[in-house]
Amino acid sequence: MIFTARMKQLVAVVLDSDVDRVTKELLRQGVLHFVSISEIQRDWKNKVNIVTPEISEAQIGEIRKRIESFFGLLKYYPGSGRELDVSRLKAVDLDQTNKTLDKLSLRLQGIRNRQSILQKEILKLEDIRRQMELFGDISAGIQAGSQYSFLNIQTGSIQSSRLEGFTTALKIIPSVQLSFQEEDNRTNLLLITMKRDDKQVNTVLDQYGWTDVELPKEKLSLKEEVMNDLEIKLNKFRSEQDKLNVEVRDLLEKELDSLKEMWSNLRLNELFYKIQSFFSKTSRTMIFSGWLPESRRKALEQGLRRVTGGRCYFEWHDAQEVDDDRIKAVPVQFKNPKFLAPFQMLVKNYSIPEYGTVDPTPLVAIAYLLMFGLMFGDAGHGAVLFILGLIASLVDKSKKEGRHNLFRLITWCGGAAIVTGILFGSYFGMQWFKPLWFDYHGIITGHASHSGYVKDVYGILVITIYFGISVIAVGLLINWINHIARRHWFKLLFDKGGLIGAWIYGAGVYTAWYFVNHSYKEMPGANLLFLILGLPVILFMLKPPLEFLIDKRKDPGKKFTLLTPVDFFMEWIVEMLEISSGYLANTLSFMRVAGLGIAHVSLMIAFFEIAGMVGGSTSGSYNIWSYIILIFGNALVIALEGLTAGIQSLRLNYYEFFSKYFIGSGRAYEPVSLYKRS
Amino acid sequence: MAGQLRTYAFINAKLRTRISKILSDELMDQMIRVQTLPEAMHLLKDTPFALIESIYSQTGDLKMGELELFKKEVDLHIELERYLQGNILNFVRALSTRFEIDSLKNALRLWFDRSIRGRSIEEAVGYLYRDKIHYNLNVDSIIYTENIEHVINALQATPYAQIIINNTDRTMEAKSIFPIEIALDHYFYRQLLNETESLESRDCEITRRMIGVEIDMQNINWLIRFKSFYNLSLEESIQHMIPEGYSIDRDAVSSAYTSQNITDILSGIVRKKYSSLQTMLTAQSSESYSRLILIERILEQIMMYEVRHVLAGYPFTIGIILAYFILKQNEIKKIMTVLNAKYYNLPEERIKSVL
Repeated sequence: MIFTARMKQLVAVVLDSDVDRVTKELLRQGVLHFVSISEIQRDWKNKVNIVTPEISEAQIGEIRKRIESFFGLLKYYPGSGRELDVSRLKAVDLDQTNKTLDKLSLRLQGIRNRQSILQKEILKLEDIRRQMELFGDISAGIQAGSQYSFLNIQTGSIQSSRLEGFTTALKIIPSVQLSFQEEDNRTNLLLITMKRDDKQVNTVLDQYGWTDVELPKEKLSLKEEVMNDLEIKLNKFRSEQDKLNVEVRDLLEKELDSLKEMWSNLRLNELFYKIQSFFSKTSRTMIFSGWLPESRRKALEQGLRRVTGGRCYFEWHDAQEVDDDRIKAVPVQFKNPKFLAPFQMLVKNYSIPEYGTVDPTPLVAIAYLLMFGLMFGDAGHGAVLFILGLIASLVDKSKKEGRHNLFRLITWCGGAAIVTGILFGSYFGMQWFKPLWFDYHGIITGHASHSGYVKDVYGILVITIYFGISVIAVGLLINWINHIARRHWFKLLFDKGGLIGAWIYGAGVYTAWYFVNHSYKEMPGANLLFLILGLPVILFMLKPPLEFLIDKRKDPGKKFTLLTPVDFFMEWIVEMLEISSGYLANTLSFMRVAGLGIAHVSLMIAFFEIAGMVGGSTSGSYNIWSYIILIFGNALVIALEGLTAGIQSLRLNYYEFFSKYFIGSGRAYEPVSLYKRS
Repeated sequence: MAGQLRTYAFINAKLRTRISKILSDELMDQMIRVQTLPEAMHLLKDTPFALIESIYSQTGDLKMGELELFKKEVDLHIELERYLQGNILNFVRALSTRFEIDSLKNALRLWFDRSIRGRSIEEAVGYLYRDKIHYNLNVDSIIYTENIEHVINALQATPYAQIIINNTDRTMEAKSIFPIEIALDHYFYRQLLNETESLESRDCEITRRMIGVEIDMQNINWLIRFKSFYNLSLEESIQHMIPEGYSIDRDAVSSAYTSQNITDILSGIVRKKYSSLQTMLTAQSSESYSRLILIERILEQIMMYEVRHVLAGYPFTIGIILAYFILKQNEIKKIMTVLNAKYYNLPEERIKSVL
């Protein structure tokens, strides 16, 4: 858990004739993080030829994405890849697949075009409606129609027996028709059409024997009915559009199985050719190389021997054999339990630790939660975060790992806040139970009992400084482990976070502690000061010349000149300044933990004060408004302080903790696999 | 300095966040590479342009999506105005006049097509922007009037009425709306430059430079249209140029028409200030239309250079607002170009050549 998985490098040689079987086995096991042959032995580049796969994985990927765009319309997202079966891999015909997809696209485009035609009709009817809205009544519309409007509003009559046919004939033209009177077997109608359709409309009118009549005065209020009719027509068009949308879904659902099959085969082929793109060849053999966790070595070796019938040659290398320059190329596989995934996300977000160094995930989990808890110490607020985080992670069905981890992180933070809330006796800003550690609220308001260890705000600040010192000390310890693991003895001694640097920091902490404990009047004795502070500072003077000698061994051309001692001196001075100011700033930076905690409590106190004032009483009785304010205040504090505490905890981890030891130049273990690994 | 910090701190953070969400070139490339419009639309699904995809899925109508994007852009300006005050607010308001003028131009074009040219406009009417920006334009009362006097009447309560009055004769004479369109552009930039005067010196300098480049681009754009659609002579074209451009004046335009080497026009400024663009100067063309297009491309690059310069420099200036608007405008233009090209099934190379 503290170190990442041990990795092994495979260099394999197989016969040309076995290459497809080998590729399938590599894909089935999905454990090899491929590297280029030239990364192993640079001179191999000239002796072997890079294999160019028959079909490029990029081409296949493009078509796969095309299918995914159809999936997207159905809100179907292919799974993690576990459903893929290598034994079902068959040759892919890109032209044929493209043609099939083109046909489907064309059918989809056809439906969209029909939707677009309907939309144009909708826009026309909306225009009629807009025009009608401008008129006070129908007569104004009839008059306006003759002047400016593109509408043609007319009243007339046709034989009642021909009404149905008339209505049908007008269906293809954007129009509104309303019958307002029936006499002598003739129906009087109000007809609204567009002027551009006049030719078509007049043909229909002539065909059905339209006779103009004047609109009776009592019918001038027909406008409302016209608007209703327009609304009905608009709704009809819209529902037709919806039906076409359903048609799109139906069409795709009908094709879904064949699309899924196509997608699976494309994905298999894409990965198959991706693996082969790492192969190099001689006249009759294929060579490939990659990294995998040691625990997977046996299974892969057995699998490859089985498919080649033993006609293969394997060379296994330890990561330890790799020199310092190439260690960065060794992929890193985290091996943390699943419950630490949110904290692993935080580490990866910063960088991947270099192979062979400490994976800080478990320590980040502890430090992050402690920091958050101290800044957000309220059991009630914590419970809200805990429940919200839990619900969100249970409800979230998306396959987005980052989002899921974020919800789980919120749950963890809620849990931490519950614990510290109980320690501080804070429940939604109230003290329902006695604090187990100290009364945070009481200290800020000045009403705390003075019997405990922490009596005032300064006490809280001191706790956070001690906390900071502990975090930095742990960081230094990990730094030493990293240097020992990588056998960097010089750095172990002379690095800023090395043994001498830590000696200076420890001495500084002791001196400050002594000074404070002697009422800011007395420093440790001169001899002791020289021993704890002066000696390491002097020892640090050895760093530049020793470094010079080490470099000279590697590069004999490096010359010692008259100015070299000056360089040594300047380097020493600058380094001392960096160490003293850096450690001081790092330690004091942890005071923000107290600052945020105090702000949290102060905000709650402020909301209780406001609620009391609104309640109109000094005795602490509340009315309904007071409760609303308290609910709002609690919600605001949870959101605002939750976010701030989360960000500040992250910042402290990244800049004060990681800067002491983290070597983030690693690269993640990403084997070519059927499914994604975390 | 403290004032600048106070004024721009919030807006700077807000706009930089939005700039980070501007679609990547990679996504744009993917959109160009896909085969059909629905596939290109699908790529917008998880982006700030998801709205256009959902409108398209519902209506199959690309223009409706375009209208929605226009509305979104206007809303963005109006939203930004809420965070500003004083001279900067006035400047941003002047900037958003662009949308009102665009909207008015669209309405006037439809009016001209319908009442003067006697063309059918019904299919285009639904895509007009109808909400108020600064003045109540009532575009419906413009497009359905019979003559220009009624248009002027409909715009009586706005400064645009006078612009139309001043250009009525030329419009009727040219049988084209372009004299009014140019006059509206002149009005817009005049207003903008006036507002620039009251900004602080650093803001004023940045604004003049960036608007200057935009004016250059606008002038070149007009020149291209004059040459290809209106067949205007050089003298006539020069008369319509918007003053206060950054690097292109009337003399430069004359040489663009006559000289074969475009380096004649922009070489001084490019060599002095935009040395990274020097390779573009090597392009030559014997045809003046192509030369104008080349100049337009160089100006676009100059504008992008200015935007990058602003984003990399001191953050608390008006530059961030201008840079954001330019980048956003550019993004929307690119998206609509690609989507329209997909609608008309244009090949990949052709799309890339116009972007």
